[in-house]
Amino acid sequence: MSSVPISAFLALALILFCIGLYGALTKRNTVIVLISIELMLNAVNINLVTFSKYGVAPAITGQVFALFVITVAAAEAAVGLAILIALYRNRKTVNIDEMDQLQG
Amino acid sequence: MDLETLLSYEWGTMAPEFIILGVATALSLLDLFMPKKVDRRILGWLGFTGILAAIVALVSLIGHDTTSILFDTFRLDGFAKAFKLILLAGAALVLLLAIDYEPKEGMKEYRGEFFYLFLTALLGAMMMSSSGDLITLFIGLELLSLSSYILAGMRKKNLQSNESAMKYVINGGISTAITLFGMSYVYGLTGTTNLKEMSLILGNIADPQHVYILGLAFFLIFIGLSFKIASAPFHMWAPDVYEGAPTPVTAFLSVVSKTAGFVILLRLLLAIFASVPVQGDGAEPLPLLLRMQDYLAFLAGATMIIGNVIALRQRNVKRLFAYSSIAHAGYILVALTTMSYFMFDAIWFYLLAYLFMNLGAFAILQLITSKTGSEDIGQFAGLYQRAPVLAVGMGIFILSLAGIPGTAGFIGKLNIFMGALIREPAHFVLVGIMIVMTVVSYVYYFGLFTQMFFRPAADDSKLKLSPGITTVVVICAAATVLFGIMPNLALDFFHQNFNGFSDFLQ
Amino acid sequence: MENAWLIPLFPLLSFLVLLLFGRKLKIASAYVGIILVLVSFVYSVIVLFERFTAPTHKAEAVWLSIGELQLTAGFEVNQLNALMLVLVSLVSLLVHIYSKGYMDGDERFPVFYAYLGLFTFSMLGLVMSPNLLQTYIFWELVGVGSFLLIGFYFYKESAKQAAKKAFIMTRIGDVGLFIGMILLFWQTGSFEYDEIFAAVGQGEVSEKWITLTAILIFIGAIGKSGQFPLHTWLPDAMEGPTPVSALIHAATMVAAGVYLVAATFPLFAASETALMTVAVIGAITAIFAASIGLVQTDIKRVLAFSTVSQLGYMMLALGSAGYVAGVFHLMTHAFFKALLFLAAGSVIHAVVTQDIEKMGGLWKKLRFTGPLFLIGTLAISGVPLFSGFFSKDEILMAAWAHGNYGLFWLAVIAAFFTAFYMFRLFFMVFSGESRSKMDNVHESPGVMIGPMIVLGVLAVVAGYVNTPWFGAFLGDWLTEGNPALGHGHVEGPAWIMFVATAVSLLGILLAWLMYSKKSLERDWLSSRAPISYNILVNKYFIDEFYKLSFVYAAKAISLFLKFIEIFLVEGIMKAIGGITQAFANTGSKLQNGQVQTYGTVAFVGLAVLLVIFALTGGYLQ
Repeated sequence: MSSVPISAFLALALILFCIGLYGALTKRNTVIVLISIELMLNAVNINLVTFSKYGVAPAITGQVFALFVITVAAAEAAVGLAILIALYRNRKTVNIDEMDQLQG
Repeated sequence: MDLETLLSYEWGTMAPEFIILGVATALSLLDLFMPKKVDRRILGWLGFTGILAAIVALVSLIGHDTTSILFDTFRLDGFAKAFKLILLAGAALVLLLAIDYEPKEGMKEYRGEFFYLFLTALLGAMMMSSSGDLITLFIGLELLSLSSYILAGMRKKNLQSNESAMKYVINGGISTAITLFGMSYVYGLTGTTNLKEMSLILGNIADPQHVYILGLAFFLIFIGLSFKIASAPFHMWAPDVYEGAPTPVTAFLSVVSKTAGFVILLRLLLAIFASVPVQGDGAEPLPLLLRMQDYLAFLAGATMIIGNVIALRQRNVKRLFAYSSIAHAGYILVALTTMSYFMFDAIWFYLLAYLFMNLGAFAILQLITSKTGSEDIGQFAGLYQRAPVLAVGMGIFILSLAGIPGTAGFIGKLNIFMGALIREPAHFVLVGIMIVMTVVSYVYYFGLFTQMFFRPAADDSKLKLSPGITTVVVICAAATVLFGIMPNLALDFFHQNFNGFSDFLQ
Repeated sequence: MENAWLIPLFPLLSFLVLLLFGRKLKIASAYVGIILVLVSFVYSVIVLFERFTAPTHKAEAVWLSIGELQLTAGFEVNQLNALMLVLVSLVSLLVHIYSKGYMDGDERFPVFYAYLGLFTFSMLGLVMSPNLLQTYIFWELVGVGSFLLIGFYFYKESAKQAAKKAFIMTRIGDVGLFIGMILLFWQTGSFEYDEIFAAVGQGEVSEKWITLTAILIFIGAIGKSGQFPLHTWLPDAMEGPTPVSALIHAATMVAAGVYLVAATFPLFAASETALMTVAVIGAITAIFAASIGLVQTDIKRVLAFSTVSQLGYMMLALGSAGYVAGVFHLMTHAFFKALLFLAAGSVIHAVVTQDIEKMGGLWKKLRFTGPLFLIGTLAISGVPLFSGFFSKDEILMAAWAHGNYGLFWLAVIAAFFTAFYMFRLFFMVFSGESRSKMDNVHESPGVMIGPMIVLGVLAVVAGYVNTPWFGAFLGDWLTEGNPALGHGHVEGPAWIMFVATAVSLLGILLAWLMYSKKSLERDWLSSRAPISYNILVNKYFIDEFYKLSFVYAAKAISLFLKFIEIFLVEGIMKAIGGITQAFANTGSKLQNGQVQTYGTVAFVGLAVLLVIFALTGGYLQ
């Protein structure tokens, strides 16, 4: 019943990953950057779930892995936002290109 | 899984982890309920005791047979034991630094968090070294990373600390995603996350398409993890983060976190990519990992060059040590690249030597930067007049970092050189780069040396030593010299107890 | 001899004690240092005498095992080592004593003695090492010790620069040594001298490898012994205190390079190309440094260039298969050059300047220093009956006997130069009248004169252990039981000795005519008026002749060589430094603080690797 070929899922994940990477490397707003990183992690999840269903040797572990990734992604976002808030209090900006005190 | 199977596991093998977990939990609870006025340093000493207890537990496990529990997700093999020892020793010394840490604005009520976050980060690193499964490896990695992100931003009111943490999170997030993306392909080709099963399945892989995808996955994983060890091309975060983070955290990142990075790198590369046979031009199929040697060599060379050369320009000591730490990652990558038959000895010993010499240097650095409030290299001027003992200690660490004979750093480099040259074909270019870069590193290491011994002090006030820092300096200096003069103490211990990691995949 | 390993430990003890308690001991730290080094010296002498009768002693223990490799550490007392032990500990002892007077009043007096201890320890350890690895380790420590000593006057910017330069320049040579050492290990499976020589002797290592590794090891020696083109650090290193120059630049550190070649001589002897390289570099250095010495005006720099030149001689000897000649000259040179440096120190101590243009007429004022300096000058010039004569003669013989005729003549010219500029130095400092106002010129205290007298005696008599007339005792003993080292004495045509004598006397004569004659003139004119006219014309004629033809040419050559030195050798060094700096600047600019740049760099790195991987169909190999 798998009418959609596995390559389509993998391509979707790859595209999502690239969009995420593009966002993470170009957006000025730090919140968007953090969300872009979430996109990249979700691309990984699509991959994992796809493989656990249509992979060379389908197995449930992929989905378990995906669950862990989701959890960790949430934690990472939380930490990232918390740090951003601390930064915002001192610097009054969320623009990532203004964080350039440390360089050289 | 019923209770019976659960109870049948040999939980004792996890004793060090349980101790760290217990102490970390206890500390967080104590911190919550202790009255505000009580000095939180006591928590630091508690944590330190906890780590010592974990070391004791680990040492008592050294003679233990190789075991794996929880469906092979947790393994107690020679590899795990050897590296956990380094991680624990490093964390114990870092904690001593943390107890004495006194930033300008004070730590106030965050000091408690400071300690148990170190412990959770350590727990993550230990889980990684014992892990036999992609999922637990990943969780360990993230536990370490998340704790470190917060640690880097510990000085909430300090803009540099905020910025450093932010940069760390963003780069860390990207690197995690890249690593995971690579892992997901490996999982897709094997259908399992267990490293042992993976290596069995991959050993019989025949389809060249699959091998090709594994090659891509190799790069994704390696580049992703090069973030953790701060090697090219994912090294650029390190100087900024090191500079902004509180000094004990910098020490932690450059020693414990880096060691953990090498642990996961070794686990993954050797379990996964060393098992994949590739049919080359020759008759004998070679493991994929060996096919990747040239790429690894390129990255190792680039890392050494970048780290050492840019370090020449630095005036800020913390940045200087960040670049030096990049360079050292490059040296260790040389050992990894050449894959001689004593690669493990070389890497383990180097990390051990690096632990002592670098932490010792950071201890002194912390003392001086917090006393003067400046991280400029000029603060080291005339240290010999102000505090001869510190200057001699720092002298030893610098000599060791530079790889001068008589110190552990020299033996570490010697092992790597021998490994690289003794193989057929020998890696002349890589060794050449390493030697030239070592000479370049003398320029900045001896610049520091000159500051301490050959320059009059700006102010002649004596430096007061605190007990924590003194302990760290003394231990590190003693170990650096001891392992430099009698390296066999460490290497024999290594051979006798970990039997060359022959149980790596059993 | 079983306990010979104790010898280096006394200076180490001195170093540790002075490092920890130096501040409290103050002036007494000199006695601590002197006594401990004295113990070393006495023990070294005992070991040397034991070695005359007993066979080579070697003791080792496993030091490091990596994988299945076992590396050992230990010590060895063979002929060369025993000789070097005495040499090093003696010169070190004398320098220790001398410094008591010279460094008097320096506030970092104990530190100075501590550094001396460290240096002596490393040097003694170096000459006792039974294997290459251990040699290398002490080799590096010697470098660290010299770094500290040269930079002792750290408040002088030039001293600091010189220390850094010395350290980094010699390190460039060390890289060669290190690679050569590891390659030898790879080829023979051992760092041990014995086993390496055995493997080489049995033909287990191909000619190509022997040549390569020998030359790499020689590169290490080039750096340490200040051979062309890595010699530039040595004259700069004169920024250190003068006793240090006597210790480091006469008998020990710079001699370590020669020692290394001597210690690994069987390796060199197995490859004609390697020997030739050593000989050619040695001869070039000898003539090159000697010609630069002609125009120097700083007393210590003249001595520094003469050291470089003499080390070139030793290399020429070794490269001409003259093992005995090289070691012999190493020994005599250690005595007379240490003497010259100490005497120069005594002069500087008296007149507080190093510029010889400002000196003059010191012979009457410095009653002891003057004659002692003269002895040293006569010895280095190769005047018959002084020690330098015998060893230089031996070198020339070796060069001739080995068929290096071109190099032989270069060495002869260098000998002429040497005699000339050394006596130029002598006359300018001691004869005539003072060329600047000198107040308060006084002879140095006895504690400084004493060591110089000891060295003065040795500079005269040390040559008699190996002469063509009374037998080649040293040579026979050194080569005993080891045919790879060649014969105790090389036979050569007798005229070589006359040529050597002639050129050195000629050089002295010329120097006398040019730099001292004027002062003698006045007496001559007053007493022997009738013939003075003739002599005056002759003098004029000779002076002009030499000035126009020979001296002028020599000056031109030496200026040209100096030009090469400044623009080529240093220029290349500067260019390398500049490129490195430029790279550092670029790298540092790229590190612009933008976190997204960092991520992009990582991503680009990944992308490039993936593209290469894809384009090559997966594999590079």
